[in-house]
Order: sequence, then structure tokens, then C-alpha cells
Amino acid sequence: MTMTLTVSQRKAPIRNAGFEADTLTQELHSLLMTTDATPEPEATVPEVVPPGKRVISDETRALFEDQALQYMDQLYAAAMRMTRNPSDAADLVQETFVKAYQAFGQFTQGTNLKAWLYRIQTNTFINNYRKNQRNPYQGTIDELEDWQLGNAESVTQSTSTRSAEAEAIDHLPDSAVKDALQSIPEDFRLAVYFADVEGFSYQEIADIMKTPVGTVMSRLHRGRRLLRDILADYARDRGISSAPATGSTK
Amino acid sequence: MTDCGCDKAKAELEEYLHNELAKADAADIAEHMANCDDCTGEHEVGVVLTAAVQRACKEKAPEELRNEVLLKLRQIQATH
Repeated sequence: MTMTLTVSQRKAPIRNAGFEADTLTQELHSLLMTTDATPEPEATVPEVVPPGKRVISDETRALFEDQALQYMDQLYAAAMRMTRNPSDAADLVQETFVKAYQAFGQFTQGTNLKAWLYRIQTNTFINNYRKNQRNPYQGTIDELEDWQLGNAESVTQSTSTRSAEAEAIDHLPDSAVKDALQSIPEDFRLAVYFADVEGFSYQEIADIMKTPVGTVMSRLHRGRRLLRDILADYARDRGISSAPATGSTK
Repeated sequence: MTDCGCDKAKAELEEYLHNELAKADAADIAEHMANCDDCTGEHEVGVVLTAAVQRACKEKAPEELRNEVLLKLRQIQATH
């Protein structure tokens, strides 16, 4: 018994000082190993250390910093769409990088690192942040009918109104577009962000959001429709139109 | 050109915009749009909307965040 403890105490800090559960498992493991056989501490190491929690070498850190950190601005922009405030967004991005770093051993080089990071960030957001936010739509958004969202498919638009609409959207300030984005339901907002800003394929978005491709298409369609409506209202209210004289509107 | 192909084109414009259509289908839409002002206009709104969203989402992570992350990575490495 004394010997077992010595063994596990010696081993634990080497592997993973921060994880109590791991240390416990190691102790149990050592106990089991020593009851009926001579302990072979070295041999048990690979089994007990979970993949991804292995020692991180300088090369691995350099590789991670080189490959992953370039996506920080994008992940931050996405985090802003998710949390809708700068301090939560920064926390979320930091958490994403920490998790990704610890799991970097599981990432297959040559596959899409950006999508992998987005998967981690989206998961983290859903598990840690979403439940703190009040969102009356959550969970049922995909089932709501368009009229419940104030969404009207305008089929009667004339060609000239369309080009005026395009012109108006083109002249809107970024802040208006950002506000419009922040105001639409979260799942729609994220689908739009992933497709239109990041250029992910529908399949990639389905993987990131853990939802069927059909749902992605519906979220995108409804999200973009809502955006159009909100922006059209905004433009109308400010008198922004295709007429060249409206540049001075504030 | 009025009725022929508009319904199909309108239904697929968003996938067209996002490059989700197979080559042949995308070619059909492009061909249809060449003769249809209505669908071309609709597509134009889609393109402009995407560009507006892209412009609005060009954020830069704060410099402190970059430093914090770098520091954090080193701390984690040290505890392993």
C-alpha cells in the first residue's frame, strides 16, 4: 500500500497536475496493478494518459500558434455574433483556443483547421454561454412559421424596386447591418455568418451546427430574408434609396 | 422571357449564390438569368446582401486577447 501511493504520487504531477479525476484514475489503476502483480509503472503510462493530454512539445506549440492563431480575428467576429458583447466574445475565443490547443493532438493535419476551430467554438458557446442568455425562441426557432417571425416572402416586387433595394443595401452603414444581424434569431444569424462571411459549405455548416443540411438551408433562407426586410425598413426610415442625392442622410 | 424557369431559378438562387449547385444546374441558372431581368435583379440583391454582411463582420480581435491567448498557451504547456 505504501508503495502504491509512492508510485502514484510520483507519477501524477508528471502527467497532469491539474486534473483530479485523472489522478484518481491513476491511483486506482496503480492500486489494481499492485494488488496481484509487481507494479510496472512505466508500462501503464500510455494507457492512463488520455490522448490530447500528452506532453505538449515546443514544436507542437509553435505549429499550433502558426496554424491556428491566424483565425483569431474571424473567431472573434463569430464570437461577437454569438455572444453579442465584446467581453464574452473575448472569453469565448480564449476558451476555444485553450480547448483546441489541448486537443490539437487529435486534429488531423491536412483537414480543415478553420472548420475544426469553429466546431469547438460553436460547441463551447452552446454549452457554456447559450444557456445563460435569454432567448425566447431557443429550441423552437426552426418550427416557427414565417409570419410568426414577421417574415413575408415578397413575391410582388417589381424589377425597379429590386434594383433600388440592392442600391440601398449597398449604401447602408456597417452598423445598421450589424444591428440587423444581432437582432435576428441566433441560429439564423450563425448560419448566415458561416455561409456569407466564412464561406463554409452547407455541409460544413451542418457539421458545425450539428443539424441536417436541410435545416441549414432553411435557416439561411429565413435569416437572409429577415435581414433584407429589416434593412429595407431601415433604409426607408432614413430615406436611403437609389437616388444619388441621399448620400448626406444621417 | 417570363414564365419559363423562373420558379426553379428563384428556388435555387441562394444555393447558386453560395456555390452549392452542381455545375450543370448552376449553368442552367446562369443561362436563365441572362434572359430574365427579374431573376437577375433578385440575384443582385443577394450578392449585395452578402457583401454587406461581410463588410459588417470585419472585426479585429483586441490586441490584449492575442496576448492573453499566447500567455495561456505557454501556461498550459508548462503544466503538462
